Amino acid sequence: MQLLAQDLVNGILAGGILAVVALGFSLVWGIMNIINLAHGAFVMLGAYATYQLTKSFGLDPFLTLPLSFVILFALGYVIQRFLINRVARAPILITFLLTFGLSLLVVNVALLIWTGDTRGVTTSYSGANFTLAGVTVPWIKLDTLLAALVITGLMHVWLTRTRTGRAIRATSMDIGAAQLTGVRVRQIYAIVFGLGAGLAGVAGTLISMSYAMTPSMGDPFLIKGFVVCVLGGLGSVQGALIGGLVYGVVEAFATQINVTIGTQSISGSGLQDAIALIVLIIVLIVRPTGIVGKAVV
Amino acid sequence: MSLRLSAAAASAALLAAFAAPTVPVSAAGDTILFGAPISLTGSLTKEGHLTQEGYDLWKNYINAHGGLKIGGKTYKVDIKYYDDESKNDTSAQLAERLIDQDHVNFLLGPYGSGTSFTVAGIAERKKIPMVEGNGAAERIFNQGFKYTFGVLSPARRYLEGILDLAHAAKPAAQTVAITAASDAFSQEVAQGAAAWAGAHGMKVVYNNKYPDTATDVSSLISALKQTNPDVILNAGHLQDALLVQKALREQNVIAKAYGYSVGPDTPDFANALGKDANDVFGGAQWSESVKYKGEPGFMQSSSEYEKAIETTYHHHADYHNAESTAACLAFQYALEKAGSLDTEKVRDALAKLDVTTFYGILKFDSRGLNVFKPMVINQIQNGQLVTVWPKFTANGKPVYPAPPWGQRK
Repeated sequence: MQLLAQDLVNGILAGGILAVVALGFSLVWGIMNIINLAHGAFVMLGAYATYQLTKSFGLDPFLTLPLSFVILFALGYVIQRFLINRVARAPILITFLLTFGLSLLVVNVALLIWTGDTRGVTTSYSGANFTLAGVTVPWIKLDTLLAALVITGLMHVWLTRTRTGRAIRATSMDIGAAQLTGVRVRQIYAIVFGLGAGLAGVAGTLISMSYAMTPSMGDPFLIKGFVVCVLGGLGSVQGALIGGLVYGVVEAFATQINVTIGTQSISGSGLQDAIALIVLIIVLIVRPTGIVGKAVV
Repeated sequence: MSLRLSAAAASAALLAAFAAPTVPVSAAGDTILFGAPISLTGSLTKEGHLTQEGYDLWKNYINAHGGLKIGGKTYKVDIKYYDDESKNDTSAQLAERLIDQDHVNFLLGPYGSGTSFTVAGIAERKKIPMVEGNGAAERIFNQGFKYTFGVLSPARRYLEGILDLAHAAKPAAQTVAITAASDAFSQEVAQGAAAWAGAHGMKVVYNNKYPDTATDVSSLISALKQTNPDVILNAGHLQDALLVQKALREQNVIAKAYGYSVGPDTPDFANALGKDANDVFGGAQWSESVKYKGEPGFMQSSSEYEKAIETTYHHHADYHNAESTAACLAFQYALEKAGSLDTEKVRDALAKLDVTTFYGILKFDSRGLNVFKPMVINQIQNGQLVTVWPKFTANGKPVYPAPPWGQRK
C-alpha cells in the first residue's frame, strides 16, 4: 500500500515535467499543424542554458527558468520567421524533414560547444527530501512539479484572456476568418513557434536538475512528449497537463508489475514504454481525440 | 581496328597495373601498417579520440625506440585511421576499405561494442587479425570468430569485485539488489553479478531492469528500497548511473555499498553529483594506480604510462587510453613471437599469447576473450578515485560501510 502511494507520488512528480515538454509540442502541432521534430533538441538547449548560467554566473537553476524561456523563445521565433514560414503550408512530410534536419544541426552544434561529456546541475539542496506518511518526496522534484503547474496555468490564462492569446486560438480555429478580422497569421505563427521552443527550454531547465545531460538527451523526451500530447488531446493546455500526469503515473505503476509465465519472469519495468503505449492505444480507441478531447485550444 | 586493339592492350596494361600492388605495402617499406576505423565524430567522439591517443602513444614509443624486431628484421609501425562517425555500418565499410585499398597488415579495433561487432565480421571474412580494446560485450566473441581478440575483461566480471570486497568485509554483506539497463552489455553485467552472488551465498533480493531510454527511475528505486539490501549494484551507462544515484539519494536509500558498472570512473560522475558521488564504487578496466609489472619492450608500469599520457596529451590517463594501448601491445608481443608478418602465424601467436603488461594480463580464451584479467574496483573518496580492489593492486582502503547520505565527504 505504501509502495503504491509512493509510486503515485513518483508518477505525478515525473509527469509534471512531461506535461511541460508536451505543452510546447502540442501548441505547435495543434495550431500550426507542424510536428516539430526539433522539440527534443530545444529541450536539450534549455537544459544546457541552465547548466551554463549556473556554472558561469552561479545562478540558482530555478532562477534561470525565465532566462531559458526568453532565449529559446527568441530562437524559435527567428527559426519560424525565416525558415519554417517558407514551408508552413507545405505537406507535412516537408516540415517533418525540415525540423528533423534542424534537430540534427542543433544537436551537432551543441556537441561542438559542450562536447559529448555527461553533465548535471547540482545545487546545495539536491537530494534533500522529506517523508510524509511513509512516502518520500524529494524537494527538487516537488518544486519542479509546482513550477510545471504554474507554467501551464499561466499559459492557459494567457491563451484565454489576452488579445494575442485569443488571436492564436482564432488562427487555429479558422485561418481565413482570423485573417479577415485582421490577425496577422505570419506573426502569430512565429509567436506560437517561439512559445513552443520557449516551453521546451523551460522543460529543459526543469529536467536539468534531475536528469543527466548530453547533447542527445532530447530524444526520449521528444517521443514521450509526442505520446503525452496525443494521450491528453492535441493543442490543449489541460490535455498536456493531464496527459503528462497520466503517463507519469502509468510508467511508475508499470515498474511494479511482475508476471511469471512458466519459469519466465517478465518485469513490467523493462517494458514501461510498451505499457504506456498500450494505455495510449486504449485511450485512443475509447476517446479518439484524447482524454481532454477537443482538437482546438 | 588497330585503335580498338591498342585500346584493349591499354586497358589490359591498366588492369595489370592495378592488379599488381596486391603485395602489402609493408613488404617494400619495412613498415607494418595497422588500420583502425574510429569515432572521430558522432556520439562517441570523446571516447574515439581517447582510443586514438592510446594507439598513437604506442606507435610513437615503438618508432622512437627503433621499431619492432620481427624475425631478425626491424620494422617501423604506422596506423591508418578513418572516421566512422560512431556508426556501426560505416565502421565495417571502412574496415573493408582499409584492407582492400590501403592494404593494412592488421586491424586495431574501433571504439564501442556495436562497431567492434560489425568490424569483427569483416576481419573474419578477410582473415585479417584484429585486436580490439573497446568492445566488452560477449556477443562479439560468441560468433565463433577466429580473427578477433579483445583485451578487455568481459562484461560479466564488471561488478564481481564490489561483491567480493563487500562479502569479505566486516560486517559482511548478505544481500544485494541489482538494477540494470535493458541493453545487451548491461544485461550481461547484471547476470554476471547475480551469478557471482549466488555462487558465494549472497542473496539477490531485488533484480530488475529499466529501458535504456528511461528518464525517471524513481519507482524502481522505491521498490528496491523496500528490500533493504546491503549492496546496491547498477549495470548501465553513465547517464543512467547518474539517474540511479540521484534517485537513491532523493529517496534516502541506505546501504552498505553502492556500485556501478560504468560511471564513477569518469570525472563526469563526480562533477555532476558533487559530494553525493563520494564512497561510490565503480568497476574499471584499468586505473593509473594498478601495480602490474609489464614485460620489457614497452612502458612497464602504470605510473610511467600515466606520465607519458600527461606530457603528450595534457590530461590524466584514462582507461580508454590504456586499453587501446594494450590492444597494440597484444600485437607487439604476438608479432615478436610469430617472427613473421604472416596473418595466419600472427593469429596463432595471438591465440597463444600470455604476457603481463602495465595494463594487466593479456591472454585469450578460445573465443578470443580476455577472461583472465580481473577488473579493478575504484572508489570515489573525497572526490578522488582510489583503487581499492583487487588487494595486490590497491592504493587505498575501501570506505565500508558507506556513511549515511549528507555525511559523505
